[in-house]
Amino acid sequence: MKKKLIKFYPLIPVFTVYILLFFIGKNVPGMWQLVAMLLFYCALGQAFNIFLGMTGYVDFGYVAFMGVGTYGMALAITRLASIEELGIGIIVAGFALALLMSTLLSLAVGAVALRLRGAYFAIATIGVNEGLRFLIEGARIWNGSEGLIFVSDINNILGRDTADALMTFWADVMVLVIAALAAVVTLYYMRSKIGYALTALREDEDAAKVMGINVTKYKIIAFITSSCFAGLIGAASWALKTPYVFPPEVFEIQYTIEAIIIVLLGGAGTLLGPVAGGLIYGISKYYLAVYVPGFQLLIFAPIIIVIITLFPEGILGMLKNRFQNTGLAHFII
Amino acid sequence: MPLLKLENVTKRFGGLIAVNRVNLEIKAGQFIGIVGPNGSGKTTLFNIVNGVFFPEEGKVIFEDQNITILPPYKRAPLGIARTFQIPRPFCGATVRENIAVGAMFGTHGRYVNVDESLEIADNTIKRVGLRKHRDKPAGILTPVEKKLMEIARALAMKPKLLLMDEAMAGMHPNDIDRMVDFIKKIATEEKIAIVAMVEHIMRALLGMAEKIIVLHHGAKLVDAPTKEALEDPKVVEVYLGKNTKK
Amino acid sequence: MEVEQLTGNLLQGLVLGAVYGMATMGLSLIFGVLRIVNVGHGAFIMVGAFITLWLFNAFGINPLLAIPFAFMFGMGLGLIFYYAAIRKLRNAPELATLLVTFSFGILLEEVVKFIFGSEFRGYNWIVGKVNLGVTVLPMSKMYACFGSALVALLLYLWFNKTRAGVAMRSVVQDSEGARVCGVNVGGVYAFSFALGIGLTVVSGVMLTMFIPVGINPYMGGGYTLKAFVIAVLGGLSSPYGAFFGGLIFGLIENGSYTLFALIPGVEPFAMTRFLSFAMLLIILLIKPTGLLSTK
Repeated sequence: MKKKLIKFYPLIPVFTVYILLFFIGKNVPGMWQLVAMLLFYCALGQAFNIFLGMTGYVDFGYVAFMGVGTYGMALAITRLASIEELGIGIIVAGFALALLMSTLLSLAVGAVALRLRGAYFAIATIGVNEGLRFLIEGARIWNGSEGLIFVSDINNILGRDTADALMTFWADVMVLVIAALAAVVTLYYMRSKIGYALTALREDEDAAKVMGINVTKYKIIAFITSSCFAGLIGAASWALKTPYVFPPEVFEIQYTIEAIIIVLLGGAGTLLGPVAGGLIYGISKYYLAVYVPGFQLLIFAPIIIVIITLFPEGILGMLKNRFQNTGLAHFII
Repeated sequence: MPLLKLENVTKRFGGLIAVNRVNLEIKAGQFIGIVGPNGSGKTTLFNIVNGVFFPEEGKVIFEDQNITILPPYKRAPLGIARTFQIPRPFCGATVRENIAVGAMFGTHGRYVNVDESLEIADNTIKRVGLRKHRDKPAGILTPVEKKLMEIARALAMKPKLLLMDEAMAGMHPNDIDRMVDFIKKIATEEKIAIVAMVEHIMRALLGMAEKIIVLHHGAKLVDAPTKEALEDPKVVEVYLGKNTKK
Repeated sequence: MEVEQLTGNLLQGLVLGAVYGMATMGLSLIFGVLRIVNVGHGAFIMVGAFITLWLFNAFGINPLLAIPFAFMFGMGLGLIFYYAAIRKLRNAPELATLLVTFSFGILLEEVVKFIFGSEFRGYNWIVGKVNLGVTVLPMSKMYACFGSALVALLLYLWFNKTRAGVAMRSVVQDSEGARVCGVNVGGVYAFSFALGIGLTVVSGVMLTMFIPVGINPYMGGGYTLKAFVIAVLGGLSSPYGAFFGGLIFGLIENGSYTLFALIPGVEPFAMTRFLSFAMLLIILLIKPTGLLSTK
């Protein structure tokens, strides 16, 4: 029995961080905004880690899944706004649609792009992201480049007070729940055959095949899981917090890059890494914006270069080595 | 019923014929040596057997099942395992995890869960003598240890046929002795067919082979019981370099 | 009327395509030799644009004369980046080099923003126009086109006729074999990276001759994406493939713009961009080594 429980120890530090963040945000005045941002980055890191960290494939178009998730929520709200008895159910419908759309897109992209490897895959995913954005703008899908604005729809259907609470508080709580869920799924994958298969294919795809691993299947599993979480994050954080969606914003490659930085900074393929990465990235971005506004990137770029050249395993990689044979090792993966 | 049967297998790369109309039969539990100089098509032959390449002509039959165009990941569960000329461990994973992967996706893969696989890995690690490296990342092992780990990983798959590509290439003589002993041990203990592929005639290893196949320019030059094969004048010719024409 | 407009646009596309092609050669060269995708590619184009702008506005120097200066500057930048980071990442996973080159791009953008600010700028170089029958082109665009073609030709000759060029080609084909044959592979890597960056910075000069406005620190992003499409068209690891890929891309971009403009209810500019990415995916799917390669 104890052995069974030990398997779940690594979730303890992750959940501790999330619970602490929640209480700090709730009880320290003026902190909720920062906490919300940290939760967003942790969630983003955890979600992307399931694909990037576990498979080693670089998806430069990851933000596209957040984009379609945002559209999913936006479409549900704008199209169903006339049905007043739906109430808060409209949000549920929005998440369902976001999930459906990100699943469909990840199936389509996965079937096409996951046949490619390395640089070809990375370039193809950039193509998917940009192509989708310009298709929406060019063919005027979902209102094209004018985007969808649904503040009034939310206010109408939920009432102004509920809508405000949703935008300023509950949306962030949803992000927290999504982040926690992503952590559970990550650990479940790591402890199951899926995780072993992904590690094997990340390290040597051809050898993995010869060992009996259906690499395509496991890549697709990781890809869809990761993309679905991205869709949910988009729906919760982008659509509900800021009730409008414009194609150039939700397909902005910058977010993919932020996600990559978080995963690498913390330690790719680890459970705790993306959380550590999200916290450090979020906090430094926040305070750099306060103290040296406009120069965050100028400071970030060299830091990234240094981290990658000198500490390729990320923070968790270093911690793991340090605590390898101690009792703490059970908590750190 | 032979375990593995190759019928007239041919594989070309562009204009080059890497494997030329090769016929081959291996019975269950047999130990066979395949000898051939560099570029004679040995590795290509292995790649055809485990599905990395599909042959243009001919058939690959494993336990009466035509597997000619079966993808590699479907062949491993049938009982085909291999090691590589240059070891290919999953460097970031520990030795234990590497070997557990073998158990998880090998012949009994469907019936063992993760915990059982890790148990199989622990047992296999003991047998190959890598116990003190169990929790190290496989990438930091020495080349010899990597070879051992790769064999352990293949054994954990519980294969019926084990293809060993240059198990001794680039090794120090002392290590070669150790490795030969080890292979002899698994050949006698396990009831698996082993096809060992070597570039040079290694009497130490080939001595225990039931038969030897010599490949030359992609074609089978000799296929005979060990003693005969080693004394075959054609083999001597290939190895002493009298036959210099290409 | 429409046919004439289309021909004119296609001709413009071909002229622009030469510049596009040249602007992709550096990317392909670096990928071919080092197997690194320079995700910060566009930022180096931007640096070239700013060099031209600065030389022209501050000293009245002819953009054509900015080319050698841009080339030397780019080579220097390339060497610095190579020895600062790329060299240590030779055996690192793909992720590392993708992210480091991306960071190079951000770094350059931010440094340029720090020096010049982020507003859009331009310069006004008047050298007359040339009438090509179906369309009238400023001479500056013709200079950009022929300059690009000349650079491509020089690179071709250098690759095929000089010892260093042949050494570099041998590394592209088989780095291990080249090492065995006594080629200083490390040196070739450093030089190729520098040359690739040098070419890319020069292409920034050419692009401003073509489009002398809209110069700002973040102008490179769009060019990075276009360069990817072009490089994939040309086979990703072949600089000449990239040049011809550029010609095709220029034709398709301008031709399809004209056609999309005829369809009611669509935004032709966005549809043109969409088409280029759709092309990218299709080519990657059917022939990842590039349409123009023989492999």
